[in-house]
Amino acid sequence: MMARFLRSYARLPGLLLVAVGLALSASATSAQEVIKFGAPLPLTGPLAPEAIKQQQGYDLWAEQVNKAGGMSVGGKKYKVEIVYSDYQSNTPRAVQATEQMITQNGVNFMFSPFGSGAAKAASSLSERYKMPTIASTASSSQVYDQGYKYLFGTFTPNDTLTTPLTKIVKAKASNVKKVAILARNDLFPLAIAQEMEKSAKANGFEVVYFEKYAIGTLDHSATLSQIKTLSPQWIFVTGYINDLLLVRKQMTDQQIKADVVSMIAGPAYQEFIDAAGASGENITSAAWWHPAAKYDGKDIFGTTENYVKLFREKFKSDPDYAQASASVSGALFQMAIEKAGTLDKDKVRDALAATDVMTFWGPVKFGSTGQINSLEPPVFQLQGGKAVVLSPDIIKQGEFKLGVN
Amino acid sequence: MLAAQIVVNALVLGCLYACIAIGFSLVWGVLNVINLMHGSFIVLGAYFAWSLYQGFHIAPWYALAIAAPLFFLFGYVIQRLILNRVITAPVLVTLTLTFGLDLILNNAMIYYFKADYRKLILTPPTGSVSIAGAVVPVDRLIATAAALALTGVLYLILRRLRVGRAIVAVRLDRDAAVLMGVDVNSIYAIAFGLGTALAGCAGVLMALIFPISPLTSTAYLGKAFVVCVLGGLGSVSGALAGGILLALIEGVGSAMIGPAHAITLSFMLLIAFLILRPQGLLGRKGFE
Repeated sequence: MMARFLRSYARLPGLLLVAVGLALSASATSAQEVIKFGAPLPLTGPLAPEAIKQQQGYDLWAEQVNKAGGMSVGGKKYKVEIVYSDYQSNTPRAVQATEQMITQNGVNFMFSPFGSGAAKAASSLSERYKMPTIASTASSSQVYDQGYKYLFGTFTPNDTLTTPLTKIVKAKASNVKKVAILARNDLFPLAIAQEMEKSAKANGFEVVYFEKYAIGTLDHSATLSQIKTLSPQWIFVTGYINDLLLVRKQMTDQQIKADVVSMIAGPAYQEFIDAAGASGENITSAAWWHPAAKYDGKDIFGTTENYVKLFREKFKSDPDYAQASASVSGALFQMAIEKAGTLDKDKVRDALAATDVMTFWGPVKFGSTGQINSLEPPVFQLQGGKAVVLSPDIIKQGEFKLGVN
Repeated sequence: MLAAQIVVNALVLGCLYACIAIGFSLVWGVLNVINLMHGSFIVLGAYFAWSLYQGFHIAPWYALAIAAPLFFLFGYVIQRLILNRVITAPVLVTLTLTFGLDLILNNAMIYYFKADYRKLILTPPTGSVSIAGAVVPVDRLIATAAALALTGVLYLILRRLRVGRAIVAVRLDRDAAVLMGVDVNSIYAIAFGLGTALAGCAGVLMALIFPISPLTSTAYLGKAFVVCVLGGLGSVSGALAGGILLALIEGVGSAMIGPAHAITLSFMLLIAFLILRPQGLLGRKGFE
């Protein structure tokens, strides 16, 4: 009796080993069928609204790929999984999260953290680990001029936003001579304002005011009073939604009127249009993409119209450039991986570098630094509570209107 | 012309800053609790006003009458159930507790209202008036008048009412107040309730002016802190003086050396006060 008991238990370790082996091989098989994309995002903290947009864009792409049966790589189908990590709007944590995803979570490819600052901070890791990475929200050329080979970006440099805007104002508003520029003292808003200053001067405008305001400024009344005394015909303000709503409200309060008022980057978002109400009328802006665009892409989404339709079905709202950029980043990875026919990081990197394709986002081709150089960002104006595209001509929806009261 | 505009802007803004700070000052002064939830209470008040206006078209100045008792009750309950358990502990314990509670409240607001910015847009708009060559928006004037009225009410409560005198007594000497028969726990809860009500009312008024989002709570808390240090802790007139001084420094600083440095200037002033006059402009031992 005792001997039989011992014999049966003596077999147990062997059985356990077999079971563990089977489980491991099963998990190895399922791991091979999934391609993991790492996406460190500021899901909590001040940048949370932006992170949610990014997440929506990535999720929509992953859902479409998986719905279609997955990605075809070397004759085999792979499902897509996005691995998220919350870095709490804290850039050093974004770098840690990126490293953790690469070294511990076993992601195959990476999306950069949000914005130029965090994308730049994390880009050295992509280079160190030879990890193909797409930055879907980094526009500053300083992110790309580090000589890195594994980083790509879907936003054109900042001057591509301000130059077309300046040209429209120069062509359509001959009365406009003096420009006042007010910028949030922050990486992207300040860079845009500096580009605007260059562009305005190059086009013969007189920049009568250029000042920065601190992050977290609760009141702009003194600044705006000063601007009012200079009587500029064009007021250009950069910042995020909160800042721009506040500035616009206080402009109305102080009865500051101008032929042209431009704001970047708030009016591209529906939240700004809703919150600004009538005071948003005739405000001009520019962004990297607009749902009114009409491109016939070769990517999984096909036409811009189809992308907007799919987005509306899933999220019951219109996409803006932030969500679309996240989706196109996924779609670009998909095309590069399928073209390379392998998950080999170097081969996928080479396929990304050789990208020259039309997408729902527009034509995509990366320059030698990895930053996209094929896109012409739209300029638009809020008219009747809607964003109306003024340029480029291919997607133009209306004429430029003067006067912001 | 520009100088007049800047002074008028600062006076109006200063009263609003005072309104933001007064509840914070009261709680700090009486309970010796640095209430890190104060900014979130203000934002909650702003959402309250926004919801009433969106849902029932009740203007914020009427919403004050509903917000005050509700927020008082909210604060009273929080103090009785949670804060009171650690009220005699060192200040770091209550600081950590309110920090934790603030995380919960703020994230609950992000969850419920989302982090998107909202704006209370009055229809028809109230417009602006011209005072001595300076343009002043009517909604700011209304908010300023209401803020002054709230400060006045608090002053009267502390000066005239029995409960107010009890609050002052506890603030001056807790042990003596106990010996005189004051129910200190009850007074603590009432003072915290009053502080919360003032924060809620300040939020209702801020909804008229500023975009609303849970993310703005830290900005309000920061202003409240600076105003308290400048004006003097626990004093009604001190909060008013601190608010106006801060707004003046920011306004003049913004015009003279640029808006990028206005906040730096106000924090330099804060440091100077902490070193040279830690009791603030009008700070005294109690509410007199």
